[in-house]
Parts: sequence; structure tokens; C-alpha cells
Amino acid sequence: MIEISRKNGLVRRKLVIFLVVIAMFISLVAIGPSVLDRYTVNILIRSFLYATVVLTVDLLWGYTGILSFGQSALFAVGAYSAGLMFTHLGFGPIHAVVALFGGIFVAMIVGWLVGWISFWHRATPFYVAVITLVLPIIVVQLLYSNPYKLTGSSSGLVGFPSFFLSVQEWFWIAGGVLIFFSSAAWLFVNSNFGRVLIAIRENEDRCRYLGINTIKIKTWLFMACAAIAAVAGYCYAGFTVVVAPEIAGFVFGTELVIYNALGGRGTLIGPVIGAVLIDLSSAYLSGNLPYVWKLIIGSIFVAVILFIPQGVAPLIMQGVRFIKAGVFAKAPQKSLPEELPELILAEYTNKNIQAIPLRVESLSRNYGSLRVLTEINLEVRRNEIVSIVGPNGAGKTTLMRCISNGHEPTEGVVWVNGVKAGKVSPHQLAELGIGRSFQNTSLFAQLTVADCLRLARHRAEAPSMFLHQRDLNLPESTLRILKATELDKMLNEKVSNLSHGLKRALELAMVLATEPAVLLLDEPTAGLTKSERTLIASILTDLLDFNDLCILLIEHDLDFVRDISSRIVVLHQGKLLLDGTVDEVVSSELVRSIYSGEQINFKEENV
Amino acid sequence: MISLFLDILSSAAILFILSAGLLIIFGVMNILNFAHAALLSVGAYVALTVTQFGLSPWLAIPLSFATGFVAGAIIEQTVMRWIYSRSLDAILAAWGLGLIIVQLITITYGRQIQFVETPLSGAISVFGETYSLYRLFLVGLAVLIGLSLTFLLKGTRLGLNTRAVIMNDNLAQALGINSALVRFLSFSVGSAVAAMAGALITPLSAVNPNMGFPWLVSCFMIVLLSGSSLVSLALSAVILGGAQVLVSTFISPVAGGMTIVVLAAIILRIRPEGLIND
Repeated sequence: MIEISRKNGLVRRKLVIFLVVIAMFISLVAIGPSVLDRYTVNILIRSFLYATVVLTVDLLWGYTGILSFGQSALFAVGAYSAGLMFTHLGFGPIHAVVALFGGIFVAMIVGWLVGWISFWHRATPFYVAVITLVLPIIVVQLLYSNPYKLTGSSSGLVGFPSFFLSVQEWFWIAGGVLIFFSSAAWLFVNSNFGRVLIAIRENEDRCRYLGINTIKIKTWLFMACAAIAAVAGYCYAGFTVVVAPEIAGFVFGTELVIYNALGGRGTLIGPVIGAVLIDLSSAYLSGNLPYVWKLIIGSIFVAVILFIPQGVAPLIMQGVRFIKAGVFAKAPQKSLPEELPELILAEYTNKNIQAIPLRVESLSRNYGSLRVLTEINLEVRRNEIVSIVGPNGAGKTTLMRCISNGHEPTEGVVWVNGVKAGKVSPHQLAELGIGRSFQNTSLFAQLTVADCLRLARHRAEAPSMFLHQRDLNLPESTLRILKATELDKMLNEKVSNLSHGLKRALELAMVLATEPAVLLLDEPTAGLTKSERTLIASILTDLLDFNDLCILLIEHDLDFVRDISSRIVVLHQGKLLLDGTVDEVVSSELVRSIYSGEQINFKEENV
Repeated sequence: MISLFLDILSSAAILFILSAGLLIIFGVMNILNFAHAALLSVGAYVALTVTQFGLSPWLAIPLSFATGFVAGAIIEQTVMRWIYSRSLDAILAAWGLGLIIVQLITITYGRQIQFVETPLSGAISVFGETYSLYRLFLVGLAVLIGLSLTFLLKGTRLGLNTRAVIMNDNLAQALGINSALVRFLSFSVGSAVAAMAGALITPLSAVNPNMGFPWLVSCFMIVLLSGSSLVSLALSAVILGGAQVLVSTFISPVAGGMTIVVLAAIILRIRPEGLIND
């Protein structure tokens, strides 16, 4: 931490604010019991624990885009762990510890199971939401079925022996748990790793092509959140000495999501305060008018989703900023431009592999009965730029997709650096050395340029989980592109503010930052101006001089292709017709006839 | 044996009827309607009202359809149409609307369990086995609903437009198809079918404001398994309904209650493309 504070004033300021806020909350919790009445203190203990669970909803949904209705079930796992242990085996220090860790362990297993069922490469966010809706329903069923007369069926377990603690002490414990997990979560989401969560929410597919194993990250996150929810549940059971199936149910699970949405998703503090305030006011108001209160909450929820999807917290923040701007209107408040991260040349990890970087062997791709690629054989050697040309629908992009995603090819084998890639995910191919850019610039609109570059370095340098290091270690090729395009002066700019040309350059820089052995570029110059094209061409030819890599690119601009290619491959109707030097292909009769649409004198294969 | 077969058939029919409305909305908008459970309850309470007024129980079917249509139309116009593009928000908003509807029902009718008069009582002898006439009626009705929806989709101009929107919304709009109208009608018809389904199951289960929720997850899983095809919906209903009946009969009713979701989750994990790969 000293390391970063020395380097950057802004980070230090953020850290100071963070510490001040924590100190404030700690003192609030400390004095709480002495200024509040007993009823409020009792309710607040519950609210703090609920807020801790809401924190996990925010990490999953607000930051990572995994909507979970099932956190209640994981809360219940922790609660029932304490309830079952204390009811059936009695209370004791060892029992208490075993119950706590047992609950965490079971919750993590359940979390892993949910992750295994919900996170696979084509699962939609709906699917995850439905599975997390299934979880509480199954858990409640299990509790109701009362296996071996353990869970007490619908009335649950009541009045078991528990910790000998006063309400005041419970208040401090619950508040402490909430503050501890909130600050850990805050450090986590603001760390370099936290950006990965946002990247997954924004464009998970792209993350995978950068070599990030998103499925593993999401599963781990879900398991960690399950553990936190279980701890909260454990405290809940210890304090109330009541556990009933309702705490596992989807109604409670839904309430957690509602608290999160109202408080402000992806802000941590919003959902926490929202949960505490709403639960507290529910306790006071719902007694008099239970149905109407739920109706009001439901209506507000729908309205917030419709009109202020970001929730109330950002709205308040804006209001504060607005007032501040009004008060300090006299003094011209020119916010200092944020200091740029330092760019450091990363050691080029030369793998010094002698094998051919890319070899494609009799690769075919069918869509149902339609054959899009037929028996493609292709080799790309080191220090080569091979261009794929061919009319629209020739199968060029499909070929790229088949090389970069092991699930795509119907038949055939792709060898990368001498390693045979089977039916593997894009991130595994990226690990082998495939780097791919896309036809339509697909980046992370909400991240900054620096964040994007750091994301691309995810595999090369594991990002810190709790620190935010601002400096970037990048390979020389990336640095050159940044310098040539002056992106190095816009590192703190949001990607959505960049021009199309700069986005393309950034994408190229990102792919290169993964240090690929094979660079797949799908129309790198599409939509660029003449001068930008020339720049890209010189960057690409430069790359070969100082990097040990090869480039396979798709391009329609034949002048561009002629200038930079070592070899040209012609695809037509899914077949590789020609593979030769630039001169051979350019002077070929065949290419001319394909492009002019003349009758082609080879066997037409229409399906 | 015959009664087991009839159980499977009628359970599948019930699942089909309950999920058909959800499938229409999922097929066209690619959004799971999280208000589905509430719409089932709406239909059930229409049936209850019909009983309370002493009208013929048959009236519940068209009335629930009409009520569901209006409810769906209101939901679509006030909320859903604005957030189709934000899919996770759309399901949350639908979920919130569902909560509102259920609360409104609770305030109006109370939360106690109530019973509805059945339009068809008694049993009939099928191959020497006496079986509930109403459950058999539901089998026939499921076929009828399936055929009418197929006709609507394949045999009418509106259906053609709808299929165009399903395949490529942007292109359909460019061709002058009013896709907003298509979505509006699909949502309304889907809600109408859902409410009708809610009314149809009232003779089999007690009525209470939350009665739709136990069915909801099963419906979701069946629809996720079926994609947007009515044929695969029927197939999924038979497979999952059949499995549920078999597990309930031979293992335990508790396990039976979880069969549909667990089995569907496993099938989806192994065959992500759903039951029928088209």
C-alpha cells in the first residue's frame, strides 16, 4: 500500500476517503447501542446481516452481471449449520467453530455446484437467474421434507442453545461483520482484479479471447459470495436462535435483489445502506399495513428499474456534486487531470518455440447441412503475414472463428506452436498463443484505455486482488502502437469516448499485449481513413521485425494486402483455392474471375 | 399401468398448458416473463370470481383469457416495451410487476386458500380404469391450444410477421413490419394463455395468491429446454412431466417435486442447445 500511495496522489486520496468512511461507520456501530432504543438495536442486527448478504448480490449482479435470486439459500446454509449443530449436538466452543466452518464449506460446495450448472460457454444470463431461483426452491423443499427429523420441517428450529452474548455485543458483531466484508469487497472491486469483473459484465466473450478464464472467475466469485452469505446466516442463527425455511426461500432472495436495485447496483455502499434502511423501515411500517407496504416496495422497485436503473445512490452522489458545484461556483474548480499511469516495457517472454506457429489440417465447418468450410489446409510460419482474401460469404471469418475457438470446427485439427488444440475454449487457445481481433470492434465501453490494456495482460501477470496498481507493463509492440497513435496520452479516457480508428488501434494493442504467437486480424482496416490504414500497415510490417510472431489477416482492400503480405490465400465458397506469393495470386486468372463474378471453371458445389 | 400412463399424459398436458404462454413471449422477445406466476394467479382468481358469482364454471376459460390479455397489454404498454433491450432489467421489472399483482390480489381477496367449482366432475372409464374426466379434458385442450397456436403462427399474416421478427427483428422492421405491434400482441396473447392456464388448473389445486410460484420454475425450465418451438415444448412437457410422475410414484413425492428442475438443468448442461437442435 505504501508503494502505491507514494506513486500516486489520487489513489492516496481515495484510500484516505475510504479509511475515513470506515472509521465513521465503525464509530457509528460502536455508539449505536447506547443511543438507540432496544427494538431498533434488535432490528438493526438483522438488517446488518441482511446487508452483508446484499453485498454478495451486488458483487455478483452489480459488478459481474450474474443475477442471483439464490443468496437466501446460501444464507440459510450458514444459519441451519448453526441451528442443526446447536440443536442436536449442543453448544460449545468447538461446536461453534465447526458449525461456522462447516456452514462455509457446505455453502461453497453449493456455490460451486450452482456455478458448474450455470456457467458454461453458451449459458445466457437468464439461465443463471433461473438456476439461482431453483436453488432456494430446492433448499426449502429439503428443509420441509425434514430428513431424519433434523430440520424441524416448516416451523424450523427454535430456541437452541447459543452464544452467551448481550444484544449490544451482537450489534457490534453484526456491524463488524458488515463493515469487514464491505471494506474487503470495496478493496476487491477497486483492485486491478475488480476491473475484470466489470469486463465480464460488459463483454464476457471478448474476455475469453484475451485468454481470461471467465468461467473459473465467475465460479470462484460465486463460491466466495456463498461463503460470505453463510457467515451472515450463521450470525443470524446465533443471535435469533430461530431458523425457519423462510430464510432460504426465494421471497427473501428476491428482497435482497430489490434492496440492491434500489440502493444502486455496482456501488457497494448504496445496496448496504439501502438494505439497512429498507429493512429497518419495513420493521416499523409493515406491522400496520403488511400488504400495502409490500405493494409500495414493489412499485418503487419497478419504477427504479424503469427510470433510474442505476439506483438511488448514484442519484444522491450526483445531487451532492451538483450542490457542491453550486456552493463553490465562485472558485473556479478545475479538477486536476488525473495523472497518467506509467508505461513500463515488459520483458518479452520469448518462448523460443521452433514448431510452426499455426497449422490447420483438413478443417471443415458445417451449419446443419450447410457446409461453410471444406477441408482447409493451411500453414502460417514465423515472421509471415498471410492474407485471406475472397468475396463475402467465402468463409473467411468462419475460418478465423474455427482457429480461435476449439468448439467451432466440425472436423479437422488446429495445431498451435506444435500443440494440438482439441475442442477447447477460446481462453485456452489464447493461452496456446492465438490472439484475435474482431471484425466489429467489440471492446469494453465502460473501462478506460489503461484498464483494457491491463485486462489484456491478465494472463501474463495475474492482477492484484486487493491493490490497484496503476503502472502498466506492456510489450514493446503494444507500446509502439500506443505511441504511434498517441493513445499513450489518453490512458484514462473511457473507451466509449474514443474514435473508431483509435478503438481499432487499441484493440490491436490489446491483442498484442497478450503476446500471441499467432495474430488473427479480421479486417483491421475496415472503416479507417487512408492515413490510418498506412499507419496500421507500417505497424504490422514492423511487428515482424522485432517480434517472433506470424499474422493471419482478412482484408478486402487489395492494395493494402499487396503491400504487406508475404503470402495470400484465396477462399471461395468455403474452399481454399489458391495459396501463393503476392505476385502469383495477383496475376492469377482465377482471382480475377472470382472478383469480377465471372463464371468460374471449377466444379461448383451448391448445397 | 394404464392409470400411470394417463397420469403422465395429463401431467404433460398441464405442463404444456402452463408453459405455452411463457413460450410465446420467450420465443418472440427472447425474454423470460418473470410475471408469469402472477398471471397464472390472475386467471385462477378470475375462475374464483366466476364461482363466487354463481356463474357457469365454463365461463372462467374465456373470461380468464380476456383478463390475461388486458393485463398483458397493460404490462407491455406501461413497462415492458421500454426495457426489452435491457434483458436482465426486463426480467426484474416483470418480477416486480408480478409482486405487485400478487399483492393486489391479496388485498382484494385475502390470502386464505379457496376453492373453485369444477366445470367437469366425475370420472370416466378408460380401458377398464376409472380416471378423472377433467384431467382427460385438459389433455384434449392442450392439443387444441397447441394446434391453434401453430395455426396462428404458421397460417396467418400476423404469424408470418411474428416469425420474421423472431428471426431478424432489424430486418423485419426494415421491411416495414411493425415489430412493436408484433411484440405487443405476442406479450398480450402470451399473458392471456398464461391466465387461462391459471384458471384451468384451479379445479386441481387450491387457490391462493401465491399459487403460481410453485409452477413457475418448472415452466421456466421447460421453456429454456424448448427454445421457441411448440413441438419441442410438447416433447419437453412429456419427458419432464413423465419423469415427475414416475419419480413421485416409485421413489417419493418430495423427490418428484424436484424432478423437473433437476432433470432439466442436467439436460441443459449436457445439451446446451436444448432438446431439439434445429
